[in-house]
Amino acid sequence: MKHTLGTMRGRIGRRSIALIATAAAAALAFTGCSASNTSGSSNADLKGQTISYWLWDTNQQPAYQQCAADFTKKTGINVKISQYGWADYWTKLTTGFASGTAPDTFADHLNYFLQFEGQGQLLDITKQVKSANIDLAQYQPGLADLWVKDGKRYGLPKDFDTVGVFYNEDMIKAAGYTDAQMKTLEWNTNDGGSYEKLLAKLTIDKNGVHGDQPGFDKNNVAVYGLGLSSAAVDAVGQQGWAPYALSNDWNYGNKTPGTTKFNYGDSKFTGALTWWRSLIQKGYMEPLPQALSETDPSTGYLGGKYAMVTDGDWMNTTYLGQDKVPTKVAPTPVGPSGKRASVFNGLSDGIWSGTKHADAAFQWVKYLGSSDCQDVVASKAVVFPAIKTATAKAVEQFKAKGWDVSGFTVQVDDKTTKLLPIADHWSDVQSIMTAALQSYLSGKGTVDDIVKAGDQVNALYK
Amino acid sequence: MSALTPTRTASTSPATRIRRRPIPIGKMIAWAALLVVMLVSLFPFYWMLRTALSTNADLPTGAGNLLPVGLSISSFERVLGITQPTGTGGSTASLNFWLYLRNSIITSTLITAGQVFFSAMAAYAFARLRWPGREQAFFIFLTALMIPPIFITLPNFILIKNLGLLNTYAAIVLPYFFMTPFAIFFLRQFFLGISREVEESAMLDGAGHARIFFRLILPMSRTPILTLAMLTYITAWSDYFWPLLVGSDDNVRVLTVALGIFQAQTPQTGPDWSGLMAATLIAALPILILFLVIGRKVVENIGYSGIK
Amino acid sequence: MTTTLRPSPRTKPGNRSRPDKGSTPARKRSVRRPRTDLRAALIFITPAAVGFIAFFLVPAVLGIGYSFTDYRVFGPVNFVGLDNYAALFQDPLFWNALGVTLEYVVINIVVQTVLAVGVAVLMHRLTRSIVVRGIILLPYLVANVVVALVWFWIFDYSSGIANQVLAFFGVHPVSFFGSDVFAIPTIALVNVWRFMGYTALLIFAGLQTIPKEYYEAASLDGATENRMFWGITLPLLRPVLALVLVISVVGSFQIFDTVAVTTKGGPVNATRVIYYYIYELAFEKFKFGYASAISVVLLVILAAISLIQLRILRADKSDLG
Repeated sequence: MKHTLGTMRGRIGRRSIALIATAAAAALAFTGCSASNTSGSSNADLKGQTISYWLWDTNQQPAYQQCAADFTKKTGINVKISQYGWADYWTKLTTGFASGTAPDTFADHLNYFLQFEGQGQLLDITKQVKSANIDLAQYQPGLADLWVKDGKRYGLPKDFDTVGVFYNEDMIKAAGYTDAQMKTLEWNTNDGGSYEKLLAKLTIDKNGVHGDQPGFDKNNVAVYGLGLSSAAVDAVGQQGWAPYALSNDWNYGNKTPGTTKFNYGDSKFTGALTWWRSLIQKGYMEPLPQALSETDPSTGYLGGKYAMVTDGDWMNTTYLGQDKVPTKVAPTPVGPSGKRASVFNGLSDGIWSGTKHADAAFQWVKYLGSSDCQDVVASKAVVFPAIKTATAKAVEQFKAKGWDVSGFTVQVDDKTTKLLPIADHWSDVQSIMTAALQSYLSGKGTVDDIVKAGDQVNALYK
Repeated sequence: MSALTPTRTASTSPATRIRRRPIPIGKMIAWAALLVVMLVSLFPFYWMLRTALSTNADLPTGAGNLLPVGLSISSFERVLGITQPTGTGGSTASLNFWLYLRNSIITSTLITAGQVFFSAMAAYAFARLRWPGREQAFFIFLTALMIPPIFITLPNFILIKNLGLLNTYAAIVLPYFFMTPFAIFFLRQFFLGISREVEESAMLDGAGHARIFFRLILPMSRTPILTLAMLTYITAWSDYFWPLLVGSDDNVRVLTVALGIFQAQTPQTGPDWSGLMAATLIAALPILILFLVIGRKVVENIGYSGIK
Repeated sequence: MTTTLRPSPRTKPGNRSRPDKGSTPARKRSVRRPRTDLRAALIFITPAAVGFIAFFLVPAVLGIGYSFTDYRVFGPVNFVGLDNYAALFQDPLFWNALGVTLEYVVINIVVQTVLAVGVAVLMHRLTRSIVVRGIILLPYLVANVVVALVWFWIFDYSSGIANQVLAFFGVHPVSFFGSDVFAIPTIALVNVWRFMGYTALLIFAGLQTIPKEYYEAASLDGATENRMFWGITLPLLRPVLALVLVISVVGSFQIFDTVAVTTKGGPVNATRVIYYYIYELAFEKFKFGYASAISVVLLVILAAISLIQLRILRADKSDLG
């Protein structure tokens, strides 16, 4: 709980000192004391304790309620689950950290992980994980490492997601394609390959002319071959440009976690982007202003305005769980690298460093990261749990529901996934790249602007 | 002047204050304008109703349909806690509607009562009393308007927590209980218009400031005070962010916070549109009723009585 | 310093001094009134002052203090002097935010005030109906965030009713929130919808204070509606108009909810209004010290604008006839 008053520059009057003292006192009051809870109580002592757990995803809440019930039966520890919507979740969490009222455990996201770690709000569980002999190999490869910083571990993998292409079966059939063909599409920076051919065919203008026919009016399109999610125009581009750039022999940065140099200036990146933007210019993909003025491309898709939309498996319920538009999932197309690619993202559960129930909290986090709980999550078929055996169970549950999710899992099976960059100053990286990419996609920015933005990003780490 | 020519100003009802013309074209245009404004104000509410009575799955396909698509009242059932909210945006917990309604009523009433009363006292001091530094003090109070709420939220949250008041009615009510700059400003402008004579004659009769305030000023300012009370109530009712921060426990959770579950819960899915629209309509209903009841009184007491 | 709004029977119109001066000598001028009401004033102000100090002043002072540090909500607090202020003057995003906010405020305030005054006068002259008043006020009854969501839905490119109607008339669909030309005006108009009724109600309350006799007299003299509006209504509305303008302008500068729900500052930075920028800095980048500095600058700008408005409108005075 140290706080220093840094160096005082110049001559400071009494009033300024009073001001600083006030600020310091306030900071004292604000900064949650970083607890080093090594109470070392045995399991027996934990019975009857209650710990709090926060999450945001309502779709998964029933699964976790059940895990909590099972957990209480097993250990006697009660878990109080609270759910807050995404926007409110992080504000409440941060306010909780600042005021010492944060929950004992909570669902953690890579966007915020490094930030919280840097602020000392996450409990280091390296020792507990070791002494509990948790087998980290049971998780999908790469996921466990995401939650380690400077050799310390702050969470166990919970679930993962990949990206695929949801498509309108009727429109695909009308264009003369089969489901099997959808699994072998390719793209390249020259002519877009079979992928762009398909998009051209699927795009129809107001007069019924297809994108690959003469007389196609790209300014008056009725059905776009590919929808665009405005959320995908950012530094990650997970459900936007990433499947292309990542399959163009390119990766985000030098390493992850702990990226310190990004490759946004690389010609392989700009090459993929240029081709991606060309889809808009040719009229096959939804333009950016339209995407920004939509709540989500799924509404346009369900309204018959888009034939295909790239998105993650978290959207399964939205696309596969409706019965108006027959929908299937295809894997993202294979790129010039000879392979396809998808971002591999994952969530974990973290423990607040200021918790008063560190041992009970760890028991709960351990349970969440174990097959007992992840199998329950698998059985509800909402997300892909991180433990390999649980993933397989989930895939079967999806099949039983009638949903073919192989378009997502093939990336994991073929090991064509790439990890998200996890870096300091992430929010700044996002601001810079989002502005540059939005400008580029809208036709105003040039490739030079993107390269410049890349330099700006790397300057953050010098 | 006016008393001498009664025939010209025969009726003083507002409708005929406009000089009599052979064809009241001006009046027709005026009414047309007012009707347009009313229509624009109303349309989104119609749209909310239409969406509330629709089924979520049918919304994208039926985009151009002015009538509800997939007509059903299931959204209202979800809001009132009769059925469980479903996925696609909504939470899976069932809604204890009447409890949250009660909490909203309690907090809004407390806030309104305290704020109007204490602000009226302060406004009286700023408008009717004479003391050095009065205008400067008023301006300082006014600057509270311009402090970005972000400054205020975090420290206030910590203050409430240090007072041990988290998750109580007090936490939700306190920051607004004593004043808001708007309330003081509003009442001060109206108190400024009260004639001095009334006060002076009361003082001649030996009344102190307290008597003048309670027996004279307040009753005379019935209309502005009721108007302010109504606006304060509505503002307190619709407050979302502060009650979310300090009042999460079920027994103090207010309606707006509870109905937040119909907004987007995950970053990628959208809100439960029909549920959200139904929730909004239902949340606005008590306020509408309150307005109609109090508004009638305001209208009946039309004519701000600075001097009889 | 204060004057009555109604003509006192004993004074001539236009006399701004205390009405008793030079009038009927039968009455003592100042009764038992001490030269200053300071004690009474303090008692009357105390509750409000308590609330003000605890919940507004202290946080504000703390915030101003932070602006001289690199406070990051967690961790040590380092005094950095005027560094934050120097940085913000060179920050293109800060100037962008100011410019964007200014554009928004101008559109919003002009449209909203003109409409509100118009509607208030219409209500005043045409009808007593509670229903009309209720309908006009209706938009204010909906929470900010929900208003933004509803309009986002109405203006949704593919499934919103707005574009469906445009398509019906053969007009190309508009990206209301996605086009850098339309985004700010759209947000401005959404907020006009939200607040126009509330503002009209305030002005309407002020209209009640204008004595009927003025209108009757003027009407007798042959004044048109127009003349009466500009010659009687507007001048006598001044105290309330001052209130409305100050409140509206300050509130307008603080636009946040709509942006947070719909555009999140985009496209590129076309809607990154100052308050949204401050929020991003504080709650996403945790640069609380810098955010505080920008907030202080915003506070000073608003205070200056309000002071000017109050002076120009002479908000504490009122005309008599």
